[in-house]
Amino acid sequence: MSLVLDHVSKVYGRGAIAVRAVQDMSFAMEAGEIVALLGSSGCGKTSTLRMVAGFESVTEGAITLAGRRIDTLEPASRGVAMAFEGYALYPPLTVAENIGFGLARRNGRDEVDRKVREIAELLEIGDILERRPSRLSGGQQQRASLARALAREADLYLLDEPMGQLEPQLRAILRGRVKALIKERHLTAVLVTHDQTEANAMADRIAVMEGGVLQQFGSPDALRDHPENLFVATFIGEPPMNVLTAERCGDGVALGGAAAVAFPGLALPPGRRVMLGIRPHRLRLGEGALAGTIVSNQWLGDQAHVVIAFADQLLVAVSHHKVAVRVEEKIAFGFAPEDAHFFDAATGAALRHGGEG
Amino acid sequence: MTGLKVAAIHARFGRHEVLRGVDLAVAPGETLVLFGPSGAGKTVLLRAIAGLEPGALGQVVIDGQDVSARGPEARNIGMAFQNFALYPHMSARDNIASPLVARGLQADEIAARVAEIAKLLRIGHVLSHPPRALSNGQKQRTALARALVGRPRVLLLDDPLRNVDAKLRYEMRLELPRLLRESQAATLYVTQDYREAMALGDRVAVLRAGRIEQCDASETVYDRPATAAVARLFGDPPVNLLACRPVADPAGLRAEAAGFRLVLDASAEAAGQECLLGLRPETLSLAAAGPDAARLEVIATTPLHERLVVLLRAGDGTEIVASLLGAAPPPGAQVAVAADAAAALLFDAASGARIPARRVMAGKAA
Amino acid sequence: MALHKLLRAAALTLVLLFFLFPIFWIVVMSFQTNEEILRLPPSLVFAPTLANYTALISGHLQTASGILDITFLHNLWNSILLSTCSVLLALVLGVPAAYAFARFRFRLGEDIAFTMLSFRFAPPLLVLLPLSLYFQDLGLNDTYIGLIWIYQLICLPLILWIVRGYFEDASPDIEYAYRIDGHSWWRAFTRIAIPLAGPGIAAAGLLSFIFAWNNFVFALILASADKQPVTVGALAFVTASGIQYGQIAAAIVLSILPTLALALYAQRWLVEGLSLGAVKG
Repeated sequence: MSLVLDHVSKVYGRGAIAVRAVQDMSFAMEAGEIVALLGSSGCGKTSTLRMVAGFESVTEGAITLAGRRIDTLEPASRGVAMAFEGYALYPPLTVAENIGFGLARRNGRDEVDRKVREIAELLEIGDILERRPSRLSGGQQQRASLARALAREADLYLLDEPMGQLEPQLRAILRGRVKALIKERHLTAVLVTHDQTEANAMADRIAVMEGGVLQQFGSPDALRDHPENLFVATFIGEPPMNVLTAERCGDGVALGGAAAVAFPGLALPPGRRVMLGIRPHRLRLGEGALAGTIVSNQWLGDQAHVVIAFADQLLVAVSHHKVAVRVEEKIAFGFAPEDAHFFDAATGAALRHGGEG
Repeated sequence: MTGLKVAAIHARFGRHEVLRGVDLAVAPGETLVLFGPSGAGKTVLLRAIAGLEPGALGQVVIDGQDVSARGPEARNIGMAFQNFALYPHMSARDNIASPLVARGLQADEIAARVAEIAKLLRIGHVLSHPPRALSNGQKQRTALARALVGRPRVLLLDDPLRNVDAKLRYEMRLELPRLLRESQAATLYVTQDYREAMALGDRVAVLRAGRIEQCDASETVYDRPATAAVARLFGDPPVNLLACRPVADPAGLRAEAAGFRLVLDASAEAAGQECLLGLRPETLSLAAAGPDAARLEVIATTPLHERLVVLLRAGDGTEIVASLLGAAPPPGAQVAVAADAAAALLFDAASGARIPARRVMAGKAA
Repeated sequence: MALHKLLRAAALTLVLLFFLFPIFWIVVMSFQTNEEILRLPPSLVFAPTLANYTALISGHLQTASGILDITFLHNLWNSILLSTCSVLLALVLGVPAAYAFARFRFRLGEDIAFTMLSFRFAPPLLVLLPLSLYFQDLGLNDTYIGLIWIYQLICLPLILWIVRGYFEDASPDIEYAYRIDGHSWWRAFTRIAIPLAGPGIAAAGLLSFIFAWNNFVFALILASADKQPVTVGALAFVTASGIQYGQIAAAIVLSILPTLALALYAQRWLVEGLSLGAVKG
């Protein structure tokens, strides 16, 4: 085990005005793992990161890193390296000096130079090493800040929105290179982000947070195929999951009052109202028991997004190939029973995924 | 002519030329997406059309009338800002009513039209709230309602979905086309997201370094980009550009780079010239080893939506990004990768211009 | 926990005592006679008297050497007149100027703004001599207009620089949006820019009112007795037969009251941040 959060809570203020920013958060990371804390602003992910780094006190619970309890230690003695969301580069130092800052004490000068150059080349900032932060673009500052964190030797790397400002043309290659570097050196990293594409691209496991509560902790595949509640189901995935209200009847469910879909062996009482979720990539066009009207059909270069009006709402289907349907046309569509997700209409808790009981 | 027409727009800040002669025409009911990297001058162009950029030169014609000399209040436009720019000391209702108040409409007509647009944008229940009590999505809808309520002839939307979360952004992407079509305004929509550009634009104008580099239907921009720079802006992950020197071939040109060997349907004039071979990541696929497939090492896999973005490295160190479907090979594995020659692009290395297909040239000759 | 709270309370009491004691002592003094004030050791036990206040309001000051006429109420009126008119004039001139400096880039703009600020740097005593000569030539010596004019040296730079910051903080997009809605430039200024800078304008107005109210040297040199504000008028309490501490204390209490009332009234404006939630959160 590397980083372990054991029932950690963070409360700001006291009494009636107390705000529970993080509530009873527990998860454990393996050494060499990349975990993403994912959520929208105010979900508690940054508070969690700051507690691990030592910039915030822990109200309740314990944090251990490599078997050592760290939540009572000073930030400097926790053995963590951090890339800050606001970059926090030292303005009077050049990029090279910024990156080498944490290395200077233990290593020889040549060794520091070599390490700085290596990480700078990897992040495509080798040609701006002699500049000062004020003369860099936002993307360059972000890469310099990331380079400084990764150049250090630490038990844990905390990366707060490390790639949000990257130039889109560099993003794919840099994500790949940074991920390869972390894996190659067997580093353990926590990545805080609001961008699910970044979390999916980089992380082995993702902790989805909302309202200070950990909603689900699992691999990207688990979040996609077995979301534990409606929030996770609709938060993860782009375009978002289609959600319909459904009512148990016959050997399946009725959708939108009219159409019925068979679900043999569905263990729900008749008349029970549930939410039925289907991912846009899993909707099948041109076949199936349901019928709707095409609202739009957009080809985005590598995928088609087809919007269907059905039961007073819009459903989105995604195909990796062009789809030959026109706006206003009627279309038959459907989905395989194993691609359906059922959620409790009141609590949003997952009832059943696909073909399981 | 009706709609919006701008001609020879120039703008400079000090010695920096931001816009260097921009010409555009947008028909009523049409949405033209203005797309480009940050700093390309998109916002400046929008502000010049709105009359908010006093230093800008050029002609702005709305519905046949030259409005270049008029102030922003007399151009009959609606605009939505990236930061929403709501009036913080007014309720959402008063925010939306502002364009109608400016025209001196009767109170009951104002109330009716505000209620109508608010219902359309599903913000009827928050009309009495001040902006600070609205969620980001509601702020964004209020700003859109304010831009639409006056039924302007020209709509300028400056990256209006930039500051809302992914889910809301996608929802609005579904709703906006119908709203814009029904408004019958000539719409200029700024975005930095190429998917948004392709989804919303009847046509897309790519603005780079102060000039329109290409203005076409979105599929054309994606499939036949005018330059290598446009090709790099469209696509996530972006196109791989590999240096090569193609040689003549009976079927067009033969290009070799990073282990790929492709016969391209491209004008033979480029034979022997320094070129860039453009391979879109989604046109690459794992293949059986063969003379035309590249032998590449897997560096890392970074999933993107339903696809797997794989960073690969050729023997000469060239990095290739492929966007694959299905299972990912593990890091360190050697794989054979084939490229779809029909979808490959070829650009002149010096000018960046795309080298056109042979058929087009033959057609012209005949 | 209890000890921690106790210590905190004690520390707070000490700080409060330190800052409020002089004010408390002055209030106490204003209800004492000169003899009671000057007795040694000082005592908090005394028979309160309103004599100081009646003397100030009636204008007749009883001293050991006879009755002295003082014009305190007139001085108070002068203070109110001078400070109010100065601040109003400075607002009329300064708010549009601050807006111009915040929104438009023009030649020498920064230099002009800095020059305005530099008025605050000049030691008043240094400029007073030439100024009084000019005022005599212009016939502005000993006039309200002359004093209000010279008070702009105090008020205008303050208002200009504080309000400019507030204008700069508000996104110009909000005004642009209002103009695109079809409103004129003037309406965008009065309906959007000014309300959004409201807290700043209130703060700057209050601050410059206090500075104008407390000014001493300008009025001392440039005005005669009937135009002088309370700060200068207070000199009358230093009489040939001694210093009238009781009346001075009462005069201080009376002259703090207007600024105190204004500050309490303006407080809600100062605190309220109107621009919250204006642009994206």
